[in-house]
Amino acid sequence: MLLDVIALSFLVALLRGGRIKEFPKFNQIKLLIVTILLQACAVFFPTIGGLFISIAYVFILAFLVFNREFEDMRIFLIGWFLNAIAIWSNNGKMPIDLVQAAKLPYDLEPVINGTNFKHSVLTESSNFPFLTDVIYMPSIIPRIISIGDIFIMLGAFLLVQRLMNKPISLLQLREGKSYATKN
Amino acid sequence: MRQKTNYAVWIKGIVVQIGFVIAAIYIFYTSSSEWAVREHWGVLSTYTLLTIFSCFAPVRISNTILTVNNAVIFSGILLYGVWVGVWAAVIESLIIAFLVRFNPLKAIINIGQLLMTIWTVAFLKDWIEGFGTVSPIISDLFLAVVYWFVNLILCGLGISYFHQMTWARTVKMMAKGFTSTYLLLLILAGVGSRLVESYGPLTLIPMMIAFITISYVFHHYYDNLQRLQQKVEEVKSFNHNFLTTMAASIDARDRYTSGHSQRVAYWGREIARDIGLSERKVEDVYIGGILHDIGKIGIEDEILNKKGKLTPEEYDKIKQHTVIGYEIILQAGMFNELLPAIRSHHERIDGRGYPDGLAGDEIPLMARILAISDAFDAMVADRPYRKGLPVEEALQEIRRGSGTQFDPILAEHFIRIVQRLPYEELQSIIGMESIPQKQLQEAIR
Repeated sequence: MLLDVIALSFLVALLRGGRIKEFPKFNQIKLLIVTILLQACAVFFPTIGGLFISIAYVFILAFLVFNREFEDMRIFLIGWFLNAIAIWSNNGKMPIDLVQAAKLPYDLEPVINGTNFKHSVLTESSNFPFLTDVIYMPSIIPRIISIGDIFIMLGAFLLVQRLMNKPISLLQLREGKSYATKN
Repeated sequence: MRQKTNYAVWIKGIVVQIGFVIAAIYIFYTSSSEWAVREHWGVLSTYTLLTIFSCFAPVRISNTILTVNNAVIFSGILLYGVWVGVWAAVIESLIIAFLVRFNPLKAIINIGQLLMTIWTVAFLKDWIEGFGTVSPIISDLFLAVVYWFVNLILCGLGISYFHQMTWARTVKMMAKGFTSTYLLLLILAGVGSRLVESYGPLTLIPMMIAFITISYVFHHYYDNLQRLQQKVEEVKSFNHNFLTTMAASIDARDRYTSGHSQRVAYWGREIARDIGLSERKVEDVYIGGILHDIGKIGIEDEILNKKGKLTPEEYDKIKQHTVIGYEIILQAGMFNELLPAIRSHHERIDGRGYPDGLAGDEIPLMARILAISDAFDAMVADRPYRKGLPVEEALQEIRRGSGTQFDPILAEHFIRIVQRLPYEELQSIIGMESIPQKQLQEAIR
């Protein structure tokens, strides 16, 4: 779903002179596998799909926490955390704003009749509407994103830079040293 | 007194740990209902992007890095209201909390002070708008100052609690560090907001470029400044080493007067402090004391270390040390401010001293101070060929010389200083072979 962002990130990393030499070692890769399995379960059992997705988010967050020494993972963590709040509080599905979604060239039928395993319709009764999929992003691939997705895209960009051995350090941003108000 | 201090710390603790947290929760809760409004979502996502951008584009000032987040928050308050400011603050806090080591209590206290600042500014903004006649330029400027001030006061309260300093001192220290840049950023944010209001969001692009340029300029400016400071430190440390070596070589040269220069420097510094000279001048007197006999380097060993009485010719040669020292320091081109001390510390108030026969106020103050210190140490210090005079007798000599040999006012100060000292301390100063180098370095730092 982030194909364009990832492709763009690789392009930037290439222009910055990055090449893949070795893959960074991530911890607890098995958590990611569990997440993928859970998502697959959600597809096969759409009626209780929300429960699987909710649990899948716990595992994703756990994976990110185990890999928090990478700064880009912490950016991911913010994004996934914000999305998780929206999903956990809305029965395991991410509500999507139909007003914005109407601009998309896709068929919204599964979302409207509740058979989409990941998304539901944003209504008055949805919790934390501002954290759900409400922002229309026209390019490169048109989609509806949430505020959490902004962080995930940034995290993906930073992660690709790291993969290409050109990590952008966010180290400057440190409490006390970086924030005058806390100095 | 102690009771009172504990009480104050206790109250501060309650205000910071409970008051700030309650305020944070209350303001967060009241704003979150505004976030649920559909029309506001575009603004929220725009300010999320702005906050992310500003978190990663810090402006560096001398010893700290200032992010432009406060400018983003401030513009949010001006353009839309308290809920945007709170949103930007929450996003910023999330980024900080996830990116740096996380301390939940400190994080929530920090966001508490920020939210209270935002709330106060938004409240005042509504209040000013109620008049309807105040020009936006004036009100923005006023609100910028309020933002800075409230932020400073509340932040200072939190920091002073955690670092156990007084509130006033913390605020003063913080204000000294970054006020100008902080206000500049807020005023730019005010201007930017008004531009966006009049000409639409595209005006943000030139504003961003302005921010980046400012950040870049500051970066280079402070980089250069830092390099310069480093150089100054190097030169200073070179000077210290030079002085220490000088003092050591003077004392090594004259084996009868080991530690003399440092004791003279010590007494000189005491007098200079007692008469209320500035710290800088006191330091000059101290270094002057260290170097006052440097000219003895140019006197032959036989004369300098001669036992028994000197012939008049030999005595004349000894007297030359003031001029020789003066020439050495003059040629070195350093410590020019010490020249009078080195040349004139054997002058007398009545004009019968050497080398120039200056009288009264013609003798530089530093030299008048060192003359007393020099004479006193020469009298009380033990020499291999004679025992030093008892302190009381030496003071009597100084009293006797007051008005003829010594400046009467300085002599009076000196006698008081010596009499004030407890006996043991006095003996340890007099008997001191040489003051450890550490103290010398501390004194001239």
